[in-house]
Amino acid sequence: MKIDRRCFLSLVIGGAVGTTLTPVPWKLTDDIAIWSQNWPWTPVPEDGPSKFVKSVCNQCPGGCGITVRTIGDRAIKIEGQPDHPVNKGSLCPRAISATQHFYGPSRIQGPMKRAGERGQGKWEKISWDEAIKTVTEKLAELRTRGKPHTVACISDTDRNGSSYLLDRFLKAYGSPNFIRTPSSADAQELALYLSCGRQGTIGYDFRKADFILSFGCALMDGCDAAGQVMSAFGEQDKKTRLVQIEARLSDTAAKAAQWVPAKPGSETVLALGLGHVIVRDGLYNKAFIEDHGFAFEDWQDDAGNTHPGYRSLVQAHSPDKVAKATGLSEKVIESLARSFARARRPVAVSGLGSAAPVSLDQSLAVFALNALAGNFQKPGGVFLIDEPDYLSWTEMKIDKTASAGNQQPRVDGAGSERFAHTRYLPNQLPEAINSAKGDSPVQALLVAGGNPLYTLADTQAVEKAFEKIPFIVSFSTFMDETAEQADLLLPHPHFLESYQDVPTPRGMAHTVISLARPVVKPQYDTRPTADVVIQIAKNLGGFIENAFPWKNYEDFLQKSLSDQWKTLEKQGYWSDSKSRDTSLDEIFRTASQRFEFFPMSKLAAMNGNGNKKAGVEKIELPGDIAKMPLVLVPYISMRISDGAVANTPFMTKTLDANVVLENDVFVEINPKTASEYGLSQGDKATVKTQAGQAEVRVNLFEGIMPGLVAMPAGLGRTGFSDYIAGKGANVYGLVAPAVDPASGLNAAWGAKAAIAKA
Amino acid sequence: MSTQSDNQTAAAGNRSSGWVVFVFFMIGLVASIISGWVAFPKLLYSTKQQPIDFNHQVHLEQMGGQCNACHFFREDGSFSGSPTLEECKSCHMYPMTGNENEQKFIDEYVNQDKEVPWLIYAEQPPCVFFSHAAHVKGADMQCATCHGDIGHSTSLREYQENRISGYSRDIWGKSMLRLGEAEHGRRQKMNDCAECHLKETGSKGNCFQCHK
Amino acid sequence: MTQQPQHTKTKRYGMVIDLDKCTGCGACMVACYAENNVPFRQDESDKMRSLNWIRVMKVDNGKPFPDTQVCYIPMPCMQCDGQHMQGHSPCVSVCPAVATDYDQTTGIVSQIYTRCFGCRYCMAACPYHARKFNWWDPKWPADMEKYLNPDVSARMRGVVEKCSFCYHRYQKARDKAYVEGREELHEDEYQTACAQACPTNAITFGDLHNPEHSVYSRSRSKTAFRLLERLNTNPKVYYLSSKSWVRRKADNYLEGENFEQIREKARKAAATH
Repeated sequence: MKIDRRCFLSLVIGGAVGTTLTPVPWKLTDDIAIWSQNWPWTPVPEDGPSKFVKSVCNQCPGGCGITVRTIGDRAIKIEGQPDHPVNKGSLCPRAISATQHFYGPSRIQGPMKRAGERGQGKWEKISWDEAIKTVTEKLAELRTRGKPHTVACISDTDRNGSSYLLDRFLKAYGSPNFIRTPSSADAQELALYLSCGRQGTIGYDFRKADFILSFGCALMDGCDAAGQVMSAFGEQDKKTRLVQIEARLSDTAAKAAQWVPAKPGSETVLALGLGHVIVRDGLYNKAFIEDHGFAFEDWQDDAGNTHPGYRSLVQAHSPDKVAKATGLSEKVIESLARSFARARRPVAVSGLGSAAPVSLDQSLAVFALNALAGNFQKPGGVFLIDEPDYLSWTEMKIDKTASAGNQQPRVDGAGSERFAHTRYLPNQLPEAINSAKGDSPVQALLVAGGNPLYTLADTQAVEKAFEKIPFIVSFSTFMDETAEQADLLLPHPHFLESYQDVPTPRGMAHTVISLARPVVKPQYDTRPTADVVIQIAKNLGGFIENAFPWKNYEDFLQKSLSDQWKTLEKQGYWSDSKSRDTSLDEIFRTASQRFEFFPMSKLAAMNGNGNKKAGVEKIELPGDIAKMPLVLVPYISMRISDGAVANTPFMTKTLDANVVLENDVFVEINPKTASEYGLSQGDKATVKTQAGQAEVRVNLFEGIMPGLVAMPAGLGRTGFSDYIAGKGANVYGLVAPAVDPASGLNAAWGAKAAIAKA
Repeated sequence: MSTQSDNQTAAAGNRSSGWVVFVFFMIGLVASIISGWVAFPKLLYSTKQQPIDFNHQVHLEQMGGQCNACHFFREDGSFSGSPTLEECKSCHMYPMTGNENEQKFIDEYVNQDKEVPWLIYAEQPPCVFFSHAAHVKGADMQCATCHGDIGHSTSLREYQENRISGYSRDIWGKSMLRLGEAEHGRRQKMNDCAECHLKETGSKGNCFQCHK
Repeated sequence: MTQQPQHTKTKRYGMVIDLDKCTGCGACMVACYAENNVPFRQDESDKMRSLNWIRVMKVDNGKPFPDTQVCYIPMPCMQCDGQHMQGHSPCVSVCPAVATDYDQTTGIVSQIYTRCFGCRYCMAACPYHARKFNWWDPKWPADMEKYLNPDVSARMRGVVEKCSFCYHRYQKARDKAYVEGREELHEDEYQTACAQACPTNAITFGDLHNPEHSVYSRSRSKTAFRLLERLNTNPKVYYLSSKSWVRRKADNYLEGENFEQIREKARKAAATH
């Protein structure tokens, strides 16, 4: 017997035939097909029972109610809370994608101290005990040296429990320097204080108003009032007339029944011009002005000096002059004034979420239109909302060091003789530090909320000032631009994992308190800022310790909100629509107990200011018009987060390719202007202002007034993560502050600019 | 092939004879058939033991004969599947019997706050959406129709996992040829679903009905 | 226009988007990403490669300042019925893998990722650019995998994906109905993520056959139109706009064409049985 190649082949063939008679080929084919559909490297999220937890979004002051879908200990998706009085289920993209920040790479995962040079990005993990000890020692040392007033605290709000505790801490410690980061509503709130004598916010009944006259407010572009306005806009039938005054065809302007493209910076004049027509034609609410108005006509002060009233003030603003200043036709001005005055429930809105700050005079002039309509405290009108009163306080005693420190002037100059009624002047802070001789007037800075190194105007000046501050603590949840430059990071938890109270948002027409609560377990080693502050107070001992009789923030909130806590726990918000019922006789708390068209307190402040003329302050933008013939105006978009917290990757994903392309941001220019500078669509160009310059691309847009360059706010980040940083340029860095002589606040509505092809 | 070799043998006597070639053919044939039917299934499937043994019968009796006492529908219509540790703990926080499996459950899972990693016989791939509500509530089907009489079992049978696809053997069924009735309820491959749907509803259904 | 409701059990889920109300905020897009586990990359500015189940297009009337007007058009998958509503959608008819099909009971066009082998015929066939190809494996940095929705599979490199009208929400709503012993769904029980998220209620969703659903009358309104109607794709996404220039943008009409009339004709042709 011989075994050769043929036998082997035969064996193989026999095997092959046999195999076909077994399940092997058929079963293997099937299994491999199934295997090829297994993608073990793509995640399979774990399933389980779904829960919907009511909470509130905390990423902007808008205070929208949210419902968070959870599965197990995972926060899956954020949706609007349909019964929440603020937003009635509406949410902006920022709120919906908050889970991305929550789980994302920009979170600071535990306390850290700087290891390398400032801004180098080298950090060393430390324990909370060590972190708190470091702060305590620094603060104790400054106090022993008699310099408690050199401690400053920057916060993005002064209205929630956490910020109240910080302010209280500074007072007990001995510093007057609690500073709130700027908001477009600053001037409007000052106007409210001056003309109505109230600290608080202005509410507009957007849902019932039949005529909304918006002076450049980003009602449907920006976040701050978006929840309220967009849900109201969704409810409204087409009879509600929205008029948007803005030089750029923003999304709000696009949705408005009428777009009024007035020159930027001319809003004050326009408001007075509308007043002129309304007064001239006698279309104002005579009963309201008779019963509740002051200084409508010329008036005499106690000393017997006569001062011009509103009628005299608007006299000079005849339609022809206003037409010239605003670039609008007289006809538009006349008809706008008349349709506003003849509307049944009109509101005039200014400073609510606009991209650029507004001046005090603009705020007063726009607010006066509401008084002309006499639409206070009635449906579809204007409601005056007090500051939150739920934070009940035990009286506190302070020691001598503290009271000496508290008597020192504020480092930002707010509340000084010059700016007696202004509470915070964050934009003056960099200048105050940079111009100081010798040591920085701020020796320790606590940044608790807000992101001043990104959001304050003229970033370069802010950076310079921060370099001079020897000790900076950031309480930021994220590695933002300010945290990057800090010495110590004490991360605050995200609002999806902690308790946070949110008081009535701006623009809301009645009192609503909302409560963010731990939706899932804390992800990282974070601690609420208020807990840290309470701990530091305890460590410092003495009167400071006694001022903080609470275990922690939760304990403080429960005790402060005693009556409302249960409701808040249950439904996530507490709403007091009775706050709408206050009668007209009780709402004005000025010296005259009336709405003051020309606030006496403003006059007093102006006297202190050395400016006795009752005129309108014109805000001049710095820079040489010959070298910088264009005006750069910032604009905000619902798809770009312009505030302290940057975009989520999802938001950036929604941006069109003519807003951001690769790492370039586009500026919008009218084709007419572009052709003057030889620019075409997509060209790379350099925008120069007094404060700085940026490389951009050009997007030709017919919807923008010739002579303007519009740039979105919220890009050009360096912090957060690779998904956010390095895209575009920061428009705030290009706009230097322009000080409003009447308030000291920044009122730079743009910046003189030049553009050239790169 | 063999005819050809016969001719060649006559021509050149130094080649192996026809029957030798045939024997080799048969060896190949038989060996492959045996390995295909006997060794292949053993190789294809790995056998896994459940983390602890479980007596469905006892639980069923205790819970009033209702499967849905532990395997229930949630309010939103979703099906709970295997009970979670929390649900088991509502009875078994502390030992109720002297059973060693119960003791193991308490020691290793309750006390360590760990979910039991049950091996699910009817687990479908993650791309499959299966609605228990549609079948149990909508079509009024019995649990045993698909899952077999597991409710009356006194211990958990071994779990066989397909080494290639990674899924339970129950999906294909024990019989490699998919002949006859499946031992444990029904086979659960896509065609099995489609076949039943065609019979019961007149249509195999659309893709999204079962896929996500 | 005068098409009679079919009194059958089959549904025809569709969407009506009021462009007068759409502010272009992007909430629909972001809600969709979050609901449907749509991945993201560091640079998403190459829009041909950016994964989106719903996009919001910006169009303008082409007039110079200050007569310019802009309009946003949200575009999900149009869920084409095809001619005579027989499910002859452009994408379904070209798929060689049967990875996409038309559900006769709901009118929704599916996309099965495990079945798709990435030939992209469907993308070429779709006149609305509703379909997107996964050029890369998805990546969720840090702990972001934790927010993924278990109701929707994550996709991988090499497959096509598109809007599903949140079919998983339909499944969930039906589960709830079964457990409560109901056959029919209420209008609000099944809403897509984008319709639910739309802060101005511009997007409404429901059964186009059911007179009780708001889309029934809205889709039959005088200002309702669809995109590229002359292709007879018979989309189930309707738009409303009070502005004639917006309605004109819906197709490549020639100058001087009476587009309202053409549209009416196309609609009647498509609806004829």
